Amino acid sequence: MAEPAYTVASDSETTGEEKSSSAFPEIAIGVDIGTSQCSVAIWNGSQVELLKNTRNQKLMRSYVTFKDEIPSGGVSNQLSHEHELLSGAAIFNMKRLIGRVDTDPVVHASKNLPFLVQTLDIGVRPLIAALVNNVWRSTTPEEVLAIFLVELRVMAEGQLKWPIRNVVLSIPVSFSRFQLTRIYRACAMAGLHVLRLMPEPTAVALLYAQQQQQMIHDNMGSGSEKIALIFNMGAGYCDVAVTATAGGVSQIKALAGSATGGEDLLQNMMRHLLPDSENLFLGHGINEIKLMGLLRVATQDAIHKLSSQDNVQIDVDLGNGSRICRVVNREEFEEVNRNIFEKCESLIIQCLHDAKVEVDDLTDVIVVGGCSYIPKIRDLVKHVCKIEVYKGMNPLEAAVCGAALEAAVASGISDPFGSLDLLTIQATPLGIGIRANGDRFVPIIPGNTTMPARKELIFTTVNDNQTEVLIVVYEGETEKAEENHLLGYFKIMGIPPAPKGVPEINVCMDIDASNVLRVLAGVILPGSQQPAVPVMEVRMPTVDDGHGWCAEALHRSYGSTLDLVTVQKKV
Amino acid sequence: MYQTKKLWTPLSTIARRALPTTCHLTPYSPNSQIRSSSSPLETSSRVSLPLHYGLGNLKFSAKGFCSQSAAKVDATTKRCWNCDAVAAGMVPFLYCDSCRSIQPVDFSVDYFQIFGLEKKYEIEVAGLEGKYKDWQKKLHPDLVHSKSEKEREYAAEQSARVIDAYRTLSKPLARAIYILRLEGVHVDEEQTVSDPELLTEIMEIREAVEEAMDSQALNQIESQMKEKLEGSSSSFANAYRSRNFDEAVTCIQRMTYYQRANEEILKKL
Repeated sequence: MAEPAYTVASDSETTGEEKSSSAFPEIAIGVDIGTSQCSVAIWNGSQVELLKNTRNQKLMRSYVTFKDEIPSGGVSNQLSHEHELLSGAAIFNMKRLIGRVDTDPVVHASKNLPFLVQTLDIGVRPLIAALVNNVWRSTTPEEVLAIFLVELRVMAEGQLKWPIRNVVLSIPVSFSRFQLTRIYRACAMAGLHVLRLMPEPTAVALLYAQQQQQMIHDNMGSGSEKIALIFNMGAGYCDVAVTATAGGVSQIKALAGSATGGEDLLQNMMRHLLPDSENLFLGHGINEIKLMGLLRVATQDAIHKLSSQDNVQIDVDLGNGSRICRVVNREEFEEVNRNIFEKCESLIIQCLHDAKVEVDDLTDVIVVGGCSYIPKIRDLVKHVCKIEVYKGMNPLEAAVCGAALEAAVASGISDPFGSLDLLTIQATPLGIGIRANGDRFVPIIPGNTTMPARKELIFTTVNDNQTEVLIVVYEGETEKAEENHLLGYFKIMGIPPAPKGVPEINVCMDIDASNVLRVLAGVILPGSQQPAVPVMEVRMPTVDDGHGWCAEALHRSYGSTLDLVTVQKKV
Repeated sequence: MYQTKKLWTPLSTIARRALPTTCHLTPYSPNSQIRSSSSPLETSSRVSLPLHYGLGNLKFSAKGFCSQSAAKVDATTKRCWNCDAVAAGMVPFLYCDSCRSIQPVDFSVDYFQIFGLEKKYEIEVAGLEGKYKDWQKKLHPDLVHSKSEKEREYAAEQSARVIDAYRTLSKPLARAIYILRLEGVHVDEEQTVSDPELLTEIMEIREAVEEAMDSQALNQIESQMKEKLEGSSSSFANAYRSRNFDEAVTCIQRMTYYQRANEEILKKL
C-alpha cells in the first residue's frame, strides 16, 4: 500500500509517530533535562556516550539568560561567576514550573527564585519574567526549555555531523499528561520530535537491565529475575520505581513520585538561616534579587559541603547591613528538612507496597540523582530497603544513559553483541479516571497498570430523565476529584429519558502503544446491545492553560445536574 | 442489593480500536480512484483490542482442546504473512522466526498455549513471568517503531493479548473463569447469589468488616479470606478436573466474593 500523499497531524501535541518511519534508521539522542543540570547521550555503535560542550562539560547547567537580544543557555554560555545566574536575567528551575497553574504550591515555592514568578491564584499559568535592563521581560517555561533544547541540539549536531531530529527525554514520574503536552510543545518549538518520554527511574531501570545482561554475557551473573528499587532524587523531583528484570526486559512494577527535591532542601535551609526571607523577597527589587542570590549561593554551597563534612561555616554579607555568620552542622540540616526526608521514605514504602514486593525480594537498590550524595538520603534508602546501595552506576549520568539506550532501541538500532536487546514494559505512573459519586475521583485505569492498557467501567445517572452527563477526566491518585490533574471534559447528550440508575454509561479508557490516551463513552439502555447514541471518542488531554478554574466553572454552571455514579458491585 | 441484570455490551467491542494518530488525506485527482485509506482500520475493527473484556468475544466450541499437549494445534498450515515461511510446530505462531515479523492475532491460540502450558487449572505461576518477557521482547510495539503500520498494529494487539494472558493466568480467579470459558461455560460475575449458605456467609463477612475496629482485626479477616480463597480454589480444581462445571461455577462465585471482601478490607486498611 502506497503512503498517502499528504498527512495531517492530529490537532494535539503528541504528533508524528508515523513520520519517523523513514527507510533508514536515524538514531535518536537521549536527553535528560534536569531541574538543575542537563545532559545528552547517544549510542555510538558500541556503547552509550555522553556528549560534551565546547567547555568539555558532560553536565550542563539548566538555565537561560536574557541579558542581550539573543537569549543564551547553559550549554553555550559561560558564566563569569555563579552570581550572574542570580541577577534576575537568568531563568532556571523550569522543570518545576512547566505545565503548572498559579494555585500550585510548587509554583508558590518558586516565588523566591531570583527572577519573577507572578501569581494571581486563580488557576491560570503564572507570569514568568526575566530582568533585562531593568525591564521585566515575560517568557514561558516552554520557551525557556525550547531555547535550551535548541542549544543542546546544535551542540549534538556539531559533534555528530548530522541533523538531529528524534529524541527520547526522561521526565519525572509525577508529571501529568497535561505537563507532558507542554514538554512535547517545547520540543516541537526546538524542532525536535519526541520518540518517547520515559519516567526517569524507568530509564535507570533500562540501564540496570542492560548491565545485568552484560554480566550474564561475562558469566558473572545468573539469568534469573532480579527485582530492583530505583530511587532518583534531583533538584526538582523525587521518583521511585520498582522494576523486575530478566533477559534484558525491564518490567516496571510500580512508580511513585513527587515534586520534592534539592530545591526544597535549599529553600528550607534559606528560611532557616534568614527566617523572614520570603517576605523580604516579595518586592522583587534589584537589591532584593541580589540579596536572594547571595543567600542562595551561600546556602547551596553549605549543603554541598555538608555531604562530605559534619559542619560548615557560613559567612555571607547580605549587603543591607545584615550578615549571616554561623556554623551549621549536619544534624541541623537534617532536622530542618525532616519533612522532606520523611516524604522520601514514604514514597519508597508506597512504591514497594504498590509493586507488591517485600524488602526481602529486592536484589538491588539503586540511588541516583544529585541528592544521592546526601548521606541522609542514602541512609534512609538503606534503612527502608535493608541492603547496601548498588555501586555500578554514575548517579548523575544513569538517567541520560538509560534514555540513550531507549533512544537507540526505539530507532530500530540493533547491536551484534546483543547490547541493545532490551525492552522496557512501562506502567502508568498515575491513575486515570473520571469524577463521579459526588466529587470523588473514580479511576478507570489505575496507577501502575501495564501499558498499553484498555479498561472500562459502568456508570449511571443520578437524576430521573437525565438526558446529559458530564464526563470530567482526571489523572492522579487522590480521592477528591479536584485534587487531581484535570485532563479534559465532554458531555454525552441525548440519553433517552429513563429513571435514574437505569441508563448504563460505559466509560472506556485506552492508552495505546504510543502512550496516547483516548476516552470512549457510550450509553446503553437495559435490554439493548447497541449504544443509544453514537459513542464519543475524545483524545486527552483537551485542557489548555486555564485548567485551574474550569473545573470550578463547570461546577458553578451545572451543579450536580449532569453527574454520574458508579454502578455498585454487590457486597 | 443491586439486582439489575447486566446486559451491557462492553464498549470496547462497539467502539473498537481507536483511530491512528494521524488521519490521511488523499489528494484530489480526477483520474485517481479514491483509495480506501480506512481499510487497515476496518480490518482491525473486527478484532477488538482484547485487553480486558476481549475474553467475551471469544467463541469456543464446547469440546475445547481437551488434554492435547499445548501449542501443537494446526501449526502445520500456518505461514508468515511477510516471508511465507511455514511456522515451526513447537511454539504458537505469534512471531516469525525467519523474518522476525509479528503475525496477526490468531484467536484459536489460547492463553495456555501462548505460555506453552497444558490446559489445566493448577499451573506454576512463577514460571509465567519469564515466558511473558520472552514474548514481549519479540512482540512489544516499542520494538517495531520502524516497521509498517500494519505490523505495528499486529504488535499492539499481540502484545496486549500476551499481557492479558499473563494477567489472566497469574490470578487464580481470572484463570478459573477463563478456563471455564474455554469449555464454553460463561460465568456471569454479577449474577446474584441464590445459595442461602453463601448469602449468610457474605452477610457475616460484611458485618465483620464493618465492625472491625482496628487494622489488626482487619488483617485477621484478611487472612481468613485468603484461606477461604485457597479452599475454594482447590475445590474448583477438583470440580474442573472431574468436569463438574456446575460445581466449578459455584466455586468461582465463592472466590469472587472472598476476593471482593479482601478488596474492601484493603481499602479500609
